[in-house]
Amino acid sequence: MRPPADAIGTLSLIVGVIAFLIFVGVEAALVYAIWRYRASRLAGEPARFESNRRLEIAWTAAPALILAVIFVLTLGAMAEINGAGVAPAMRIAATGHQWWWEFSYGGTKTANELHIPVATPIDLDLTSVDVIHSFWVPELGPKMDMLPGTTNHLRLLARRAGSYDGQCAEFCGVEHAWMRIRVIVQSQAEFDTWLGAQRLPAAVKGVDGERVFLTNICVNCHTIAGTAASGTAGPDLTHVASRGTIGAGVLPNDVARMRAWLADPQRYKPGSLMPRVPLSDADLDALAAYLGALK
Amino acid sequence: MSETGFIPAERKPPALSVSLGRSPKIGQDRTLLGVVIFIASESIFFLAIVLAYVAYRDSGLATARANLDVGRTAIFSIALFASSGTMALATRARSGAWLAATMLLGAIFLLGQGSEYARLLGEGIGPGSALFGTTFFTLTGLHGIHVLAGLVALAALFTANLGRARAVREVAWEAVGFYWHFVDAVWVVVFSVVYLGTLL
Amino acid sequence: MTAIPLWVRRPAGERVGWLRTVDHKEIGVLYIGMGVAFFAIGGLEALLLRAQLATPEATLVDPETFNQAFTVHGVTMILLAVVPLLVGFANYMVPLMIGARDVAFPRLNALSFWLSLVGGIVLYFSFLAGGAPDTGWFSYAPLSERAFAPGTGVDYYILGLAVNGAGTIIGAINLTVTILLMRCPGMAISRVPLFVWMTLVTSVLILGAYPALTAALVMLFVDRQLGGHFFDPAGGGQAVLWQHLFWFFGHPEVYIMVLPAMGMISEVIPVFSRKPIFGYGFVAGSSVAIAFLSFGVWAHHMFAVGLGDTENAIFSATSMLIAIPTGVKIFNWIATMIGGRLRMTTAMLFAVGFIAMFVIGGLSGVALAVVPIDLAVTDSYFVVAHLHYVLFGGTMLGIFAGAYYWFPKMTGRLLSEGLGRWHFWLTFAGFNLTFLPQHWLGAVGMPRRVFTYAASTGWGPLNLISTIGATILAVAMVVFFVNLARSLRSGEIAGDDPWDAFTLEWSTTSPPPPENFTRIPAVTGRRPLWDRKHPESRDKK
Repeated sequence: MRPPADAIGTLSLIVGVIAFLIFVGVEAALVYAIWRYRASRLAGEPARFESNRRLEIAWTAAPALILAVIFVLTLGAMAEINGAGVAPAMRIAATGHQWWWEFSYGGTKTANELHIPVATPIDLDLTSVDVIHSFWVPELGPKMDMLPGTTNHLRLLARRAGSYDGQCAEFCGVEHAWMRIRVIVQSQAEFDTWLGAQRLPAAVKGVDGERVFLTNICVNCHTIAGTAASGTAGPDLTHVASRGTIGAGVLPNDVARMRAWLADPQRYKPGSLMPRVPLSDADLDALAAYLGALK
Repeated sequence: MSETGFIPAERKPPALSVSLGRSPKIGQDRTLLGVVIFIASESIFFLAIVLAYVAYRDSGLATARANLDVGRTAIFSIALFASSGTMALATRARSGAWLAATMLLGAIFLLGQGSEYARLLGEGIGPGSALFGTTFFTLTGLHGIHVLAGLVALAALFTANLGRARAVREVAWEAVGFYWHFVDAVWVVVFSVVYLGTLL
Repeated sequence: MTAIPLWVRRPAGERVGWLRTVDHKEIGVLYIGMGVAFFAIGGLEALLLRAQLATPEATLVDPETFNQAFTVHGVTMILLAVVPLLVGFANYMVPLMIGARDVAFPRLNALSFWLSLVGGIVLYFSFLAGGAPDTGWFSYAPLSERAFAPGTGVDYYILGLAVNGAGTIIGAINLTVTILLMRCPGMAISRVPLFVWMTLVTSVLILGAYPALTAALVMLFVDRQLGGHFFDPAGGGQAVLWQHLFWFFGHPEVYIMVLPAMGMISEVIPVFSRKPIFGYGFVAGSSVAIAFLSFGVWAHHMFAVGLGDTENAIFSATSMLIAIPTGVKIFNWIATMIGGRLRMTTAMLFAVGFIAMFVIGGLSGVALAVVPIDLAVTDSYFVVAHLHYVLFGGTMLGIFAGAYYWFPKMTGRLLSEGLGRWHFWLTFAGFNLTFLPQHWLGAVGMPRRVFTYAASTGWGPLNLISTIGATILAVAMVVFFVNLARSLRSGEIAGDDPWDAFTLEWSTTSPPPPENFTRIPAVTGRRPLWDRKHPESRDKK
C-alpha cells in the first residue's frame, strides 16, 4: 500500500488543479465583464435578457459532473488511507492527556515521542483520558480525534526514516499549543533496539536524585519502572532522558533545562498540571542529574 | 413624493389558505401563522431532547423499568389528553367554564408530575444521579415548563375573557388553543418514549 | 446640524425614544448599530490574536487571555455582529421592499432586538464575573464541562447564547409571517426582490437550526449546574452528541450568514448593471436547495471524529452537492453583468468583491468536503482561512455592498464614494494578505487555536504577513467608520432614488416616513420602479 500521506497528496493535487482552473475561469469572467461592459462603452439602454434555460442546465450539470468525479476519487482515497485491507504489522495505543501524549507498546510506555519502524503499516489505537484531542503529524497524513470513552484508529505508514513533528489539532484547553508530537521513524533494527531498551527498568539506581524523586509528590503522578513510583497521571519517566524534549515540546531535553523545568514548570508551561514542587537547590541538582541519567 | 404611476390597489394580496372550518385561516391571519411557525420551531427543540433520550435509552432502561410508575402516570396523562378536548370545546364556544376545566386538568397533570418527581428524588434518582436521571428530568422537566407556560397563557385568556369578552379576538382563542394542543402532543411522544418504552 | 432627519422622516415635533420604538426601520437601525459595535469589538479581539501570533513563542498575552479572546471573537462576530447586521437590514428593508407599512408584529420585533442585545451583554458580562468562556465558539464537550472549565465563563456562554437565540428565533418568525402575509397587491412570491427571498429562506433556516443549539445549551446547562451526564463520558454520556447537536445548528448558521448577503448583492448587481437579474428563478430556487441541503451536511465538521467511512462518505456527498446551487448563483450574477452597462460604484465594487472572494471560500469548501483532504487540514489554519473567505470575503463584503447601497435610503445622505474606494481597496488588500497565507500555514501543520507556536516550525514569516494584513484591514475599517461619521453629518443629499433603482424602497422618501408609503403600492412585475419609470417597456414578469 501507499503511505496515506501520498494518497492524500495525489488527491489534493487533483482537487487543487480543478479548483484553480475554476477559480481562474470565474475571476477571468468577472474581469472581462467589468472591462467589456463598463458604462463608458455603451450609450443607450442595455439589452434586457434575463434567463436562458440551456445555460442554466449547463452550469448546473457541469459542476455536478466534476463533483461526481471528485467523489469517486474521494471514496478510493478513503479506502486507501484506512489501510486498503492490509493488516497492520503492529498496534500502538496512543492516549491523549492535557497536555501530553502517552504511547504504549503492549504495556511499555513512553511519552510525546512515537517511535515506529520505517515502511511498516502501523495502527494507532487512539483514546483520551480527559477532553478531546486530535493526533496530527502532517507529513504522515490524516489526523484523527481522540475521544474519551471511545477508541479510534489511525493507519500510519512512513516511507522514509527520519523525524516528523506534529501536534494536537483539537483545542483541548490552556496548553493546547504546547502539546507537540515527534514521530521518529527508524529502520526495523534500530526500532527493535530502541524498544528493547525501553522495556528495561530504570538505568540508574540508588543515587541521591532517586531519593528526592521517591520522597516527594513526584511519585503521585509519575512511574519509573524498577522503583516504587507508579503514578499514571503524568508521563512515564523510566527512560525520560532518551526523549528529545521536556513538557511535550516546550524545552529541549538536557540536564540544565530539566533542572529549570523542575524548579518551576509553570514558568515554561503555564497551566500545566505539573505543580511547582518546592525543592532545595541541592535536591534540584540531584533530581535533574538522576532524570538526565535515565536513558 | 407620492407613488403615482403605480397601479391602484384593487387586488387582494396573495395569501396561503389553510382553512380551519369557520375559524380564522392560518394562511391569512398573522397571529395564527406566527403561532404555527413558533410551534414548528419548538418541535425541533423537543425533537433534539427526545433524540438524546432515545440515544441514551439503553443505559437507563433498567432504572426506568424499576422506578417509573407507568400506571399512575398514565392516569395523570389522561388528564392532560382530556384537557385538549376541553380546550377545543372552550375555543368553539368561547367558554370561560371550559377554559377553567382545561386549566384544572393541566394543573392536575402538573401535580402528578410533581409527585412523580418527589418520589424519584426520594429514591435517590435525580438529574445528577446517572444518565437515566439526566435525560428523564431534562425531557419531562422541559415539557413541564411548557405546560406551565401554557397554563399562564390560559390564565391570561381567562382573565381577559372575564373582563371584556367581546374585546378578545377570535384568534386569541385559536392561538392559545394551538399551543395547548402542541404541549399535549409533545406529551404523547414523551409518554410513549419514556413510559410506554419501558414496557417494550 | 443635519438638515434632514436621520433613519425615519417623522412629522415635526413627534419623537419616539430608541428604547420605546416599535418602528421596523428604527429597530433595523438598532440591530445595525448593535452589529457595528460588536463588529468593532470582535475586530479588536482579532487584532489581539494576530498581534500575539505575529512572531513565534511570543508572550504578549498569556494563554488564558488568548483562549478567551478567540472564543469571544468567534461568538461575537457570528452571533453578535454578522447576524444582527443582516437581521437589521432585513428589518429595515423587507417591509419597504414588499410594500408593507411595518412587520407583522412590531412590538415582538422590539422584543427580538432587546433579547439579542441582552444576550450579547450577558456574554460580555463574563469578563467582569471572573473570566470569559475559553472553550472555543463551538465549545466542545467535555472541555466545556465543569470538570475542565470550572469557571463561570461557559455558564455565561450558555445563558448569553440562549437569550440571543430566543431573540433571533422570534425575529425569524416575525420576518417569515411578514413576507408570507404582508406583500402589497400584485407582489406575488415570484416577484419579491431576491433580498426578500433570501431573508425568507434564512428565517426558515433560523427556525430549524437555532432550536437545536438551544437544546444543546440546555443539556450543557443540566450537566454543569445539575450534575448531569449528557456529555460526560465517565457517566455514560457521549462527547460526540454535543457535536451533532451543535453542528446541526452550526452548518445552517453558515447559510444564515451567507444567504442574506447574497440577497444584498442580488439587488446591487442588477441595479448597477442596469439589467434585471439573470435567472431570477434559479437564484431563488438555488437558495431553497441550499437551505434543504444545509440540514444534511453537519457531520462534515466531524470527519475526524471517527464516525465511520459510510457516514463520512454520505456527508461528503451531501456537502459536495451544496456546491452546485452555490455555483448556480455565481454564474447567474456574472451573467447579469454580461451585456449590462456597469457603473462601478463602491456598492458594486463590494458586490463584485463578494463574488471574487466567495469563490475562493467555496472552492476550499469543496476541498474540505473531500474526506481525505479534510482529515489532513481540518482544525488547522486552512479552515480558519476557508471560513474567513466565506464570512468576511463573502458575507462582510456583501454587507458593505448593502451598506453603500442602502445608506442613502436610511439617512437621506450618500456615503462618500472617494472614501468608499479607499475602504474597498484597503479591505481587499488587507483581507487577502491576512487570510491567503493561512491556507498554506494550515496545510503545513499549524493547528487553529494555538496561542503560540515553536520557532522551529518555520511558521513565523507567514504569520507576520497575516498580522500585517490584519493591520491593513483594521485601517480599512477605520476609513469606513470615518466615512459613516462624516456622511451622516455632511454627506451629499441623496434624494429618493439616487441609484435609479428598481425596487419599492426607492419609491418612498429618504428616509421613509413612519408609515413607509402614503399609499400602499400595487405592482405588476419584479421591478416595480423600473415599470413606473419606463411604462413603455414594462417587465413581463
